[in-house]
Amino acid sequence: MSMMHASPLGAAPSTAHLMRWVIIATLPGLGAMTYYFGLGVVSNVLLAALIALGAEALVLTLRSRPLRPALTDSSALLSGVLLGASLPPASPWWLIGIGVLAAIIVAKQLYGGLGHNPFNPAMVGYALLLVSFPAYMTLWSPPQPLVTETLWSQIIGSLPTAALDGLSGATPLDAFKHKGEAVLASEFWASQPLPEGTLSAWRNIALAWLAGGLLLIAKRIISWHIPVAMLGSITLLAALFYASDPSHFASPLFHLLTGATLFGAFFIATDPVTAATSRRGKLIFGAGIGVLVMIIRSLGGYPDAIAFAVLLMNLCVPLLDIYTVPRPSGQPKPARLPTQGGPQ
Amino acid sequence: MPAYDFPGGIYPPERKSRTSQAPLCAAPLPSRVQLRLRQHAGNPASPCVAEGDTVQVGQRIAKREGMVSANLHASISGMVSHIDDEAITIDADGLDKWQMLSALDWRTASPHSLLERLEESGLAGLGGAGFPTHVKAQVAGHHAIDTLIVNAAECEPYITADDLTLRSYPHEVLDGAQLIAKLCGARQIMVGIEDNKPQAIQALQHVLTEQQHPIEVTLKVIETRYPSGGERQLIKKLLNRDVPSNGLPVDVGVLCHNPGTLLAALHSVRDGKPLVERIITLTGGAIRHPGNVWVRLGMSVAELLNHAGLSRERLYQVISGGPMMGTPLFTLEMPVLKTTNCLIAATRDELPPVPAESPCIRCGACESVCPEQLLPQQLHWYNQTEADDTLEKLHLFDCIECGACSFVCPSYIPLVQEYRAAKQRIRLKRIESAKSEHAKHRFEFRQARLAREEAEKQARRQARLAQNRQSTTGPHAGPNTAPVADLRSLRIAQTAAKAAVKKAEKVLARATEQAPNQRHDDLEIQLATAQENLKAADTRLAEARAAVPQKEAP
Repeated sequence: MSMMHASPLGAAPSTAHLMRWVIIATLPGLGAMTYYFGLGVVSNVLLAALIALGAEALVLTLRSRPLRPALTDSSALLSGVLLGASLPPASPWWLIGIGVLAAIIVAKQLYGGLGHNPFNPAMVGYALLLVSFPAYMTLWSPPQPLVTETLWSQIIGSLPTAALDGLSGATPLDAFKHKGEAVLASEFWASQPLPEGTLSAWRNIALAWLAGGLLLIAKRIISWHIPVAMLGSITLLAALFYASDPSHFASPLFHLLTGATLFGAFFIATDPVTAATSRRGKLIFGAGIGVLVMIIRSLGGYPDAIAFAVLLMNLCVPLLDIYTVPRPSGQPKPARLPTQGGPQ
Repeated sequence: MPAYDFPGGIYPPERKSRTSQAPLCAAPLPSRVQLRLRQHAGNPASPCVAEGDTVQVGQRIAKREGMVSANLHASISGMVSHIDDEAITIDADGLDKWQMLSALDWRTASPHSLLERLEESGLAGLGGAGFPTHVKAQVAGHHAIDTLIVNAAECEPYITADDLTLRSYPHEVLDGAQLIAKLCGARQIMVGIEDNKPQAIQALQHVLTEQQHPIEVTLKVIETRYPSGGERQLIKKLLNRDVPSNGLPVDVGVLCHNPGTLLAALHSVRDGKPLVERIITLTGGAIRHPGNVWVRLGMSVAELLNHAGLSRERLYQVISGGPMMGTPLFTLEMPVLKTTNCLIAATRDELPPVPAESPCIRCGACESVCPEQLLPQQLHWYNQTEADDTLEKLHLFDCIECGACSFVCPSYIPLVQEYRAAKQRIRLKRIESAKSEHAKHRFEFRQARLAREEAEKQARRQARLAQNRQSTTGPHAGPNTAPVADLRSLRIAQTAAKAAVKKAEKVLARATEQAPNQRHDDLEIQLATAQENLKAADTRLAEARAAVPQKEAP
């Protein structure tokens, strides 16, 4: 019975500290996004965070659970921030609301709250929005100034759809995906398909997320296993595809530095609740996400695939947990768990 | 630094300097001692003095009971004032009169007399587990021991008792190690010590260079990392051997002893002094004079702490043992035991109460520090539903309860307490199922006995019938009324019954060999059942043969 605990001694963080550190680590990425895409990013995150806290409080009240510990552990806040960061800038409030309610109420609380949810809440919300409201979810504008005239009407959802189309551009992943079979990659890039500065904006945002992720690893908030396995498998597969047909597949760097790859690797896939537990399990989990991302991006119908890949690998976690039990010292051979009644 | 290592581990604050720099001194003689009959692993000792008897220091007052147990000696001279099921209380006469055993020279004494002396002196492991030393030495008789490890790692925070023991008595501890090593046939002695005890290391090095030792001694200084003092962890670190799951160090040819035990062993042999006192670390922010003291066993914790300047206002809790694996005391009115190595009178600031538990987020912090490479978060999960089969498959019983997982848990889940409760629950379940198995086997035996008696009765009746028939109508007259039994299937049944008896005998023999001192009622009744079945099968076969003699070809 341990009377000594690391966190009161300041030697290790508590759950609430962990969550807050992850939120702090999103600041470089969010800052970079705001710099390139304007205050619509901030409105996304604030709205999502507020609705997340409200939804969490509502369900806890309905479940007659104490509000304080669950709200102060910042886990709902984090889910809101992560979902807000995933949405196109200046998304309308109702879109954010639907996504966050699905994330907090359905994906998290209906399964029993923190620690009991099998699927990453933010990604459940994102995937629901992506399949239900594809038009709004692909409205990524080109880089724009901090404040635009339409910002407020976008957020309150009063802008007509036609006007929305005029604002939106394509993400680099989207543009490349829809370049058409006949167009070679070299021709595609030569045609300058994206507005000036789009690629560098996405690259800098990705690098900002990387910085936040490295901070998390340095602070030992997350372990390196999942990001390294995921980025490794994406790099490897992208390199294979690229080597096999450079005129139709994008380069590994393109896959790493555009889209949500780095954000997903450090902030989404590493959600401990929904990831595999053992070190070996984490490596397989991360690598599996990478493989699925590459398959969906290269051969599937969606330009980016972090949400689907993460959710699919969440499904595999109980199985991974069963087959990756480490062998304790002095144990003759690895044991297997019965394949029923696993966590989640 | 050895090349091998154990996985996991943590670096809790050490907080040893308050006591490690204070000199070792003796606590005052207690005015009364309460000597628990059970302060060692195994069976409680049974009193061999009566209330009102006058005893001297070192006089045996309770003798060991059964295989694993230890003698108990008076730790002060005076009068036995009270005896109950739990403890013997002695009121001091203040004279401190000693009754020593004869002195032995461990270099020349026979192993038998040394073993006898260890047993007589009531020695038990002073590190915390309290396993009787002579039993440990005897266990060594069944196994080939090549290495004696002196476990001086003392990895728990606060405790410095081994440190001070080694600094004050390096010669004696090493001589004690020679004694035990000789007794168990070890070829080498290794001292495993964490690098946070430079003075003890120096003292040992000094003795090793200046004195010749018949059995080679190596000093292994290891990194300070909790729980390097766990037997399994230390053996891995020093020798790169994995103690098997459910096994003991002797299974890999190793015996581990605490320096305090070795010192006590030498004192009991060289000086004929039974185990009546030990060194205890008194520490914590709520006492004014922290340090290590020689304490007579049975002294009350309250008296001892008061002597060290306990401030009741500042006291938050008293912990017996270290902060990682020790137990909080609910009352200070309890005696010092052979296994009490440390008393921490902690203030609220230094060991604050554990914050409220929050849900497990499977962060894996516990997994990365587990020295046994278990998955503490999975054990926690399955324990919630009492999925005991799964817990065992996740190697619950390999947990050494070091508390590293609880230490790092960001959700403050009392993991070790959960594991202890789960182990207890599973053990109880095993006992219950063994009991019901035993009842089933007894029932089977009764059935077999009845069947055998029935078969014998049947055989007698058959014989009588045949005789009657013979006397009235003569041989081979009339139809054979006896049921023509299927001889073939009866023969098969008899062979199977024979095989079952052989198997039951074998199982019983093996169990007896493995645990010669235990009763094997269940196996014996299973053997008896098999024997009854065989008898019944024999009878039936004989009867069938008698009924149809002409049909059976030789």
